[in-house]
Amino acid sequence: MLEQDRKYEANTPQQAWFAKHRFSIIRHAVINLFMLIILLPLSWVLILSIKSLPDSMRGQFWPRKFDFTHYSYVFENIKTLGGNMTNSILVTGATVLLTTFFAVLAGYALVHLKPWGKTFVFTILLLSLYFPTRVVAIISIYELQDFLGLINVTSGLILPYITLNLAISVLIMRSVFQLVPHEVIESARLDGASVWGTLWFIGLPLARNGLVVVFIVNFVTAWGEFLLASTLINDQEARTMPVVLAAAQGGMGQWAWPRIAAVYIIVVTPGLIAFSFAQKLFFKGLAEGVVKG
Amino acid sequence: MVERNEIELKLQEANRRQLLQGKIDRREFLSRSMVAGLGLAGVGVASKYGVGPAYAAEGRPLTPTFYDWIEGLHPGIPGVNERFPGINYQIAPVQGFGIERFVAESKKSDSTWDVYVGQTPFVEMTSLIEADVIEPWDNYIPADVIDDIIPSIREECSVNGKLYNWPFLLDVVGMGWHSGVTNKAGLVDSAPATWDEFLDGANTIKESGAAPFGATFDAHGWRSVAPLAHSRSSDVYTPEGLFDFTSDAAVEALVLMKKIMQTSNPDILLSGASDGGVNGTPDEVAFSTQRVGYYVKYFNAPLRMAQYWDDPKQLHMGPLPKFSGGEGSTVFWTTGCALFKHGQNKEKAAEYIKSLTYDRQIWKDSIAGTETAHVGQLPPYSSIYKEWGETKPDWMLPFVGLVRGQLDRAKAIDNHLFGLSQFQIGQPFWEAFLKGEESDPRVAMQNVTDAVRAEMNRG
Amino acid sequence: MDRGAEIIIPRSVGTAREPKIRQSISAWIFLIPALTFFVCYQVYPIFRIVWISFTDFEFLSTEPANWIGFGNYIEAYNDPLMWKSMGRAALFTVMFLPGTIIFPLILAILVDRVRHPLLATVYRLILLVPALIPSTLVFVLWKWMYNYQIGPINYMLVEVFNIFTYYNAPQWLGGTNLTLPSIAIMEIWWGLGYHAIFFLAGLASIPRDMLEAARLDGANEWRVFWHITLPRLAPIMMILVVLRFGTSMAVIDEYLIFGGFNRGAPTYTWTVYMYDQAFNIGLWRQGFAAAVGMIGAAVMVFFVAGLVYIFRPRG
Repeated sequence: MLEQDRKYEANTPQQAWFAKHRFSIIRHAVINLFMLIILLPLSWVLILSIKSLPDSMRGQFWPRKFDFTHYSYVFENIKTLGGNMTNSILVTGATVLLTTFFAVLAGYALVHLKPWGKTFVFTILLLSLYFPTRVVAIISIYELQDFLGLINVTSGLILPYITLNLAISVLIMRSVFQLVPHEVIESARLDGASVWGTLWFIGLPLARNGLVVVFIVNFVTAWGEFLLASTLINDQEARTMPVVLAAAQGGMGQWAWPRIAAVYIIVVTPGLIAFSFAQKLFFKGLAEGVVKG
Repeated sequence: MVERNEIELKLQEANRRQLLQGKIDRREFLSRSMVAGLGLAGVGVASKYGVGPAYAAEGRPLTPTFYDWIEGLHPGIPGVNERFPGINYQIAPVQGFGIERFVAESKKSDSTWDVYVGQTPFVEMTSLIEADVIEPWDNYIPADVIDDIIPSIREECSVNGKLYNWPFLLDVVGMGWHSGVTNKAGLVDSAPATWDEFLDGANTIKESGAAPFGATFDAHGWRSVAPLAHSRSSDVYTPEGLFDFTSDAAVEALVLMKKIMQTSNPDILLSGASDGGVNGTPDEVAFSTQRVGYYVKYFNAPLRMAQYWDDPKQLHMGPLPKFSGGEGSTVFWTTGCALFKHGQNKEKAAEYIKSLTYDRQIWKDSIAGTETAHVGQLPPYSSIYKEWGETKPDWMLPFVGLVRGQLDRAKAIDNHLFGLSQFQIGQPFWEAFLKGEESDPRVAMQNVTDAVRAEMNRG
Repeated sequence: MDRGAEIIIPRSVGTAREPKIRQSISAWIFLIPALTFFVCYQVYPIFRIVWISFTDFEFLSTEPANWIGFGNYIEAYNDPLMWKSMGRAALFTVMFLPGTIIFPLILAILVDRVRHPLLATVYRLILLVPALIPSTLVFVLWKWMYNYQIGPINYMLVEVFNIFTYYNAPQWLGGTNLTLPSIAIMEIWWGLGYHAIFFLAGLASIPRDMLEAARLDGANEWRVFWHITLPRLAPIMMILVVLRFGTSMAVIDEYLIFGGFNRGAPTYTWTVYMYDQAFNIGLWRQGFAAAVGMIGAAVMVFFVAGLVYIFRPRG
């Protein structure tokens, strides 16, 4: 299709080219408008992070005077930053992998293994989304973690984190597996494949689009979680990024705006780089779905 | 940092011994294998787990925990810590005044920490006492220290004659002005002595076009209604310790706020950001953008906002103006230290806090400012001011003396379980007057009292 | 792959069906990891709330809690603030929910058609950028954007377009009538790319030849969208609507940050009320707060049941 477009472009007059590509141009214009809406606030932060202090308190986008010292200020004042970042990456990574794994198993079982009581399980999962566990959850979770001896243990955060989005992850996998025809699973099983084999070789490849969604949902929550992380961990070195960052803009607000902006850029950039690599894996699944379908 | 690692090694060693001696009970074993079974925790967890109990037996190091901004504002603290080798210095899990963790531990007669630095009496001290989390300092604080605390501060920190808050950082509500703006408006470069002068000056600034706005304040009740009322009379508390919103002084304060608002930034009533609206308030932004001349708030705020100015030296500060014939008082509060009832090392904690609160470097940094922070928080001890009075340090700023003078008349907000929340509950009702929805200030203040009363009568 | 399997493996359903009980057991083995976590960290706290809601439990009090039956519920039911604050949450949901579904849907459909591999990748990457920002930083960002004095939005309105002055410019955050729409816009911004990715995943699962066949049959784009694309996206849309309905009714951090505890502000919703009672006022009446929460939950479950019914699988 792309090849054809190119030929067309080369061999016809401009007017015809515009006529042919009118929808494409409008489409890209609309897409880019959305992209601009997403990126503009962030570019404002980027500029803010290199403004001098007086300029940061003026509305003008472009500063009169640049000041690049805010980044070194951040590293000098949050000495644990590197360690906190590592903590965040480890906790988030483990949470995402485990939750996805559990959700795949449970979602698959609910749809294709039809256990006794599946409606009940489904209903409870769904209902749990609407209970304001927050009122006492923090205290209940504190007690539980204390019982397990996981207070002030960074990796201990993974346990409550898994649960943050477990219900919704299971529900997503359930609805994804519902799109896989039951006959396919049934016939594989009759052909002698084990339960695991069927899930791994038949079910999962068909459900990879859902995996992407579950991955992202869990990543976003675990990466930004603040309340549990600040309550359950005592040591500054053992804490995750959001807690350390909140300190920068909370309290007495001792951090000047451009410095908070610098923190911003420092936090978002590694995630962005990580994702520009990881997205290949993510979207490969999507692309394959497109080609094969 | 180095000491820190040594401690961790010691802890790990203690823990390992405990493991070898088979001191782990079944519950510990189960929970440990549960975690290990997940394949995540690994050696890290195994070595860290059990550290608490293991150390308790052998005695743990002094473990203070600080509200997170304190270290950022006072870079001298690590210097004090160096004098206490082995100290386990931590940042408290209390973002936004969350004391849940402290209370939950206390219910099990336990405390990870020995002392909490970051308690403000009228905000959370009563809660911590009610929940039986903290105990008074009286058995541990040296007598000469307790006598050295300025009387009004000692009163703030005491309940039934017992000192539950060892005061550390003093914040006083006063005023600051931008001399660049006031000079342009042709005003004399001194603090207005009365509210009438203040209002005249604010009007002049706005009308002369020196700045778009004349004056501003922080709309939170404990930073506006209360200090303004105190400047008329500090006798504005009911016998049970609630702020008396219907008192003449409080009503006059409200009327004054409305007058100031005529020259102020229009977003003045929009509360700000995190910490339940404590930071990034509209007044702070207006002052830091150099769009306003006069500013009423605790001194930390103008100092912090002036760092954004083209010339921070244009900031001047003085005491809160008076009502003509008024008492000339103001509001102050301290951020101090609470002693955990179930903590350990209590004598050591007292020694540490004494060292911390008398540290001259911290006070110099706070008043004169450092490269990273200019806080303007002041010491709570008479002896330090006396010392400065006898031999004035070259870094001393004039506002300190003015504040010290006013401190004998100043008063903290009374301690009460509703000390802070009475102002949160009441805000929409007095703002009805400020916004013009209610024309009678007395009716507005009566509504405030009724709302607070209704909330207290629940349950 | 699915079709292949269907052809290769002969269908003989019913001849060698596994015993039901054995299958059920293996199914439960699959469910156990998820359910263990779910019970410990989700069900246990819920039961705790239910129990607490029937007591006069006060967190800071050292006295034991007493069973008071429906006392808290009756008090909450008769409390005008409870219903007023519930109405505020509903108002926010109405502002937020349609936008957070429709905009990402449009965006996803447009991006899905981009065939240029590099562009498609770049677009998808940009879509994910806001999702990478921790919530606390998103709030800081928009606090800057909406700042009355120097925020870029008001700067544009005052200095560039001269529509307003600094005496009458819009006051976005902090408890004005504009605050809820402002937060809704922020949330829609935050979820724009993230939700678009959801829809892209759904769009990718639609067999391309199905669309081509429909087009060859003479169906116009609108009919293709309405009869093929939309039904296939319905499950994802249901997840999003149900999920976002829940989150938007129960928003709390944003309200605490942009509105504080001012009861007159539109941001003082039932969740803030609950939080205020449970962690801020007096001795922290968590019994009453739990009852407020349970009533809120009951109302939400009622509406969600309706939503699930609307989006139920058809045909």
